[in-house]
Amino acid sequence: MTTALSVLQVVLLIAVAPLVRGTIARLKAVIQNRRGASVWRPYADLVKLFRKEDVVPTSASPIFRMAPRVVFAATAAAVLFVPVLQGSTFFSMAGDFILLVYLLALARFFLVLGAMDGGSSFGGMGASREALVSTLAEAPLLLGVTAVAIVARDMSLSGIAHWTLAQDPTRISAVHALAFAALALVAIAETGRIPVDNPTTHLELTMIHEAMVLEYSGPSLAWIEWANSVKLTLVLALLVALFAPWGMMMSLSVPGIVLAVGAFVLKLAVLALTIAVVESSIAKLRMYLVPDFLGVASALAILAVVFTAVMR
Amino acid sequence: MQILFRTFVASLLCLPAVTLVAQRWARARAVASGVFVLALLAGAAAAGLGFWCGAAVSLDFSAVSPFPFALSLDRLSAFFLLLICVVAAPVTLFSATYVERHYQGARRAWLWVLLPLFLGSMVLVVTASTAFAFLFGWELMTLFSAGLIVVDGDSEQRRHDLFIYLLMMHAGAAAVVAAFLLFLPGAPGLGFAAMRAAGAAMPPAMRSALFILAFVGFGAKAGLIPLHLWLPRAHPMAPSPVSALMSGVMIKTAVYGFVRLTFDFLGGGPAWWGYLVLAAGAVSGVLGVLYAIAEHDLKRLLAYHSVENIGIIYLGLGAGLLFLAHGAPVWATLALMAALLHTLNHALFKALLFLGAGAIGHSAHTLDIEELGGLQTRMPVTGAAFLIACCSIVGLPLFNGFVSEWLTFRSFLGGATLANLPSAIVLPLMAGILALIGGLAAACFAKVYGVAFLGRPRSSEAEHATEVPLAMRASMEVLALCCVTIGVAPAFVLSPLAATINGFVRGAAMPEEALSLARVIPWIAVVVVLLALAATLMRRAARLTPTWACGLPGLDSRMQYTSTAFSKPLRKVFSQVYKEDRTVEVAPTDAPYFPVSISYRSVRTTSYERALYRPVMDAIVAGAYRLRRLQTGNIQVYLLYIFLALVALLVGMRFV
Amino acid sequence: MGLIEVAATKALASSAVLLFIMVLLMAAAKRISTCILLFSAQCAVITAQILAMAYVHRSPEAYAIAGLVLTIKVLAIPYALSRIVEDLQAPRDVTASTTSAQSVFIASALILLSFFAIAPYARELRVDEDMLAAAVALVLTGAFLMVSRKKALMQVVGLLVLENGIFLAALTTTFGMPLIIEIGIFFDLLMGVFLMGLFVFRIRDTFDHVDVSKLRKLRG
Repeated sequence: MTTALSVLQVVLLIAVAPLVRGTIARLKAVIQNRRGASVWRPYADLVKLFRKEDVVPTSASPIFRMAPRVVFAATAAAVLFVPVLQGSTFFSMAGDFILLVYLLALARFFLVLGAMDGGSSFGGMGASREALVSTLAEAPLLLGVTAVAIVARDMSLSGIAHWTLAQDPTRISAVHALAFAALALVAIAETGRIPVDNPTTHLELTMIHEAMVLEYSGPSLAWIEWANSVKLTLVLALLVALFAPWGMMMSLSVPGIVLAVGAFVLKLAVLALTIAVVESSIAKLRMYLVPDFLGVASALAILAVVFTAVMR
Repeated sequence: MQILFRTFVASLLCLPAVTLVAQRWARARAVASGVFVLALLAGAAAAGLGFWCGAAVSLDFSAVSPFPFALSLDRLSAFFLLLICVVAAPVTLFSATYVERHYQGARRAWLWVLLPLFLGSMVLVVTASTAFAFLFGWELMTLFSAGLIVVDGDSEQRRHDLFIYLLMMHAGAAAVVAAFLLFLPGAPGLGFAAMRAAGAAMPPAMRSALFILAFVGFGAKAGLIPLHLWLPRAHPMAPSPVSALMSGVMIKTAVYGFVRLTFDFLGGGPAWWGYLVLAAGAVSGVLGVLYAIAEHDLKRLLAYHSVENIGIIYLGLGAGLLFLAHGAPVWATLALMAALLHTLNHALFKALLFLGAGAIGHSAHTLDIEELGGLQTRMPVTGAAFLIACCSIVGLPLFNGFVSEWLTFRSFLGGATLANLPSAIVLPLMAGILALIGGLAAACFAKVYGVAFLGRPRSSEAEHATEVPLAMRASMEVLALCCVTIGVAPAFVLSPLAATINGFVRGAAMPEEALSLARVIPWIAVVVVLLALAATLMRRAARLTPTWACGLPGLDSRMQYTSTAFSKPLRKVFSQVYKEDRTVEVAPTDAPYFPVSISYRSVRTTSYERALYRPVMDAIVAGAYRLRRLQTGNIQVYLLYIFLALVALLVGMRFV
Repeated sequence: MGLIEVAATKALASSAVLLFIMVLLMAAAKRISTCILLFSAQCAVITAQILAMAYVHRSPEAYAIAGLVLTIKVLAIPYALSRIVEDLQAPRDVTASTTSAQSVFIASALILLSFFAIAPYARELRVDEDMLAAAVALVLTGAFLMVSRKKALMQVVGLLVLENGIFLAALTTTFGMPLIIEIGIFFDLLMGVFLMGLFVFRIRDTFDHVDVSKLRKLRG
């Protein structure tokens, strides 16, 4: 039964991902005093794109069409490790967050290759900028989760979730506060949100992700956009599972499932609102200030790890 | 087992003569190469029996040699012999066609004679069971590899680089000889069994001296920074298959020597050994990959990546030493498993990368990736194999690099459970450094593969490249298959590795963590492949058009990103490391906004020569000049020196 | 009154962590208004702490001090500083000699240094180690801000943070100084801020900038 629920939470996350994106866009519109598109817009976009045909450059290799599918597959596989409704996940082992981070790295590697295969300057530009951002974001991401794992004395995400569920929610721990600050900054970088990257821009000066997918169309673009939404939801769910998992089911029961789903939706909504507010109030950073931004995240993550030993 | 091993050794000894004789006839050459590959497969079988089944074998040549000379195959030697043979067999297959097409007459003969001798010397190093045999093989390795480098041509620059190579190898060998000689009081015959016993009984000061000598000597051979100067000079100079062997296998013998000496003979040591090795590994890893990012000559880039991967291996070894020092043998086993598995993985994918470079050089006649592009459509098999190698070296899941990197990460995370406070902080922080190295490697290989194989060709050579012949393709496919197999089903290598380490680390056991990864990874592979397949099968035919690029007309291949452009953001962020000297000239200078031509020149000075080596050299030369004053030319002064030496000996004998 | 008791203990337990976070944020901040806001937040945390201690130790004096801190340091001084920033009409960025990331690294090192430094004293005096470390960290960060930020106003903010740290240290070890001394210190601070405000305008009018690193006449 737990396995069935684990599969359900994976399917739920992948299915709900575009809705999260739509919600953030809608909230931004409301804050910026616009009407904005409906929250179901991303689904309509996906359906439209799947029905169109793929337009492929003549010089492209099979990598061009293969890349979006690998990106989606790797991102979906990474979802298997994140606790959503209950502490346990489909696959869980000590050190599984390393596998998760590297599955996302696999997705990003192929996205970069697909961008280079387009044969235009935009692809290369997006690829080189993405390489810079992801290189500097990997270390704080791993160190932040490591710090939390060391405190929880369990190196698996489900173990951390179980441990945190048993803790007192009102006590602020220094390691968790620092790790949350570091991971929040990294989450902005990984999901390509302002201030690191503007997801709605059309100026090549400000593009990172948009430049990489410029040549894609039809189903290939649909797979990439969906994978992007799944990655955003996955990162948010990871933050929730690591730092605020209360509400997850401890044992199987129908009121438990309802409570878990409700709690998850509420927490995602809060995070979506935070992202919308942050995106509407801060300007995008200049490209060469992003390493500084990620340097702050690294410093916080390193301090979090050192604190695990200092504040034992 | 005995028969296999003896056949293998015998064939390696006879092969040079056989290939020399067979040089005149093309058929005979092909047959000789086939025999060579078969011999290597026999060696691989013998090594496999030793590694998986624990069968041991020994050959004693002491009867025919003035010093004790014996070979033996315990599990660790079997592992490294397996590494050598499994990598050398496809490389030899590749060379059969490659050498045929690119070298003629005497040079080809030299290559075919030196290649089995080179492999034989490496086999000697890893199977030696006396110090004499080990050192004999060690020096021969340098000699034969230098010979193979010389085969590729001669010039002022090449002679200079070759001289640096020989000099640094010899200096490293001197340190290794000194390390072995320190065992003399306890083990007069310098047989490995005696040395093991002597190492256990040594006083701490001597152990530390031994460790330093071994670290420096083997580190020079492995290519740790700052002793790495020879690597980016020597490896690109050799023919591609030889570079594959040098980068893939030769530097691993240094890892073998270091593991043998530090873990087997000395059994680990105080914590500062671990910190030193960790620091060396971290510095080599980060700086190696940073230097690689700035390169656009494919072979130099791959050479710097060897420095980086040696850094990762040494990170694992350092963690192992720290765990042993703090009494956690199970974690030490995990760390050593990580380091040894990465040794094997690196040999596999680095050899594949160099063979790919050889294939590119064969088809496109250039190794400057700025001149390449669009090779994937023209060389599909080479491209696919190269892509697999790139994914492996970056450490992406489902490929072998990930397994060893994951094990290294896991051992670092395990360090947090240690009671000793500094180690509990340093080890998890090393995980951050390893993550940084992984990210930089991903950026670098995305650049290499993207610029060389994807997009549009940037030169007519690249445009007219064709797929390489069957033998070359097959060898690359074999290596790629090995990479993927270990990446998806690592269990079959992990258990015997644990047994190997059990052999020389007391109190070791099979760590649970390694098994858990081996259980999960195949399922993840199934999930990813199924999802990707499902998404691929759902697709319909695509419409081919020229690249859109926001509707820009007249796109040509010059408007793609170059390798220098791709690496610019990273080079700018890490500018302290590069210290670039950059000049941009716009012509004509009186109308700068309407240029006719723009020239860009960027020179990097890796400052080791200036900051580290030159001061040391100057100090040595100054010291030598001062010592010259002893040479007065007066014969009576010389007689006085002899007289003083005699007096000193007589007095000294009283105190011994 | 169990709820207030619980709240008081929670406030005491978590305030050190909040102060560390604010130290790091202040090191990373790029605008003067952010620094002023963070300073105000720091003082709010300290006020909460004083109130909690006042409740636990049942001391009416402490309530008075809490009120003083609230009015002067949480409200009055930050308001005055923000007015100065607005009237100056100078660029609002903190011209720092270290980047954000470097500043956070240095601030982290200072936090670890403060832990290292107070270790023997905390055991001797039997006080909360985290709180004393937070106090020393505030002092060091205030000094660091004064050294690395080039805007004249940031010197004031650094000094205020430093004073915060000393105040917190006194609070932790001796449960505050006598009320008269507290009032005296507060009025000194107020005067200092107003004087600084006056001087900043004079500097701006005379030199046309407020960059302290360019005022180099202080030599013989």
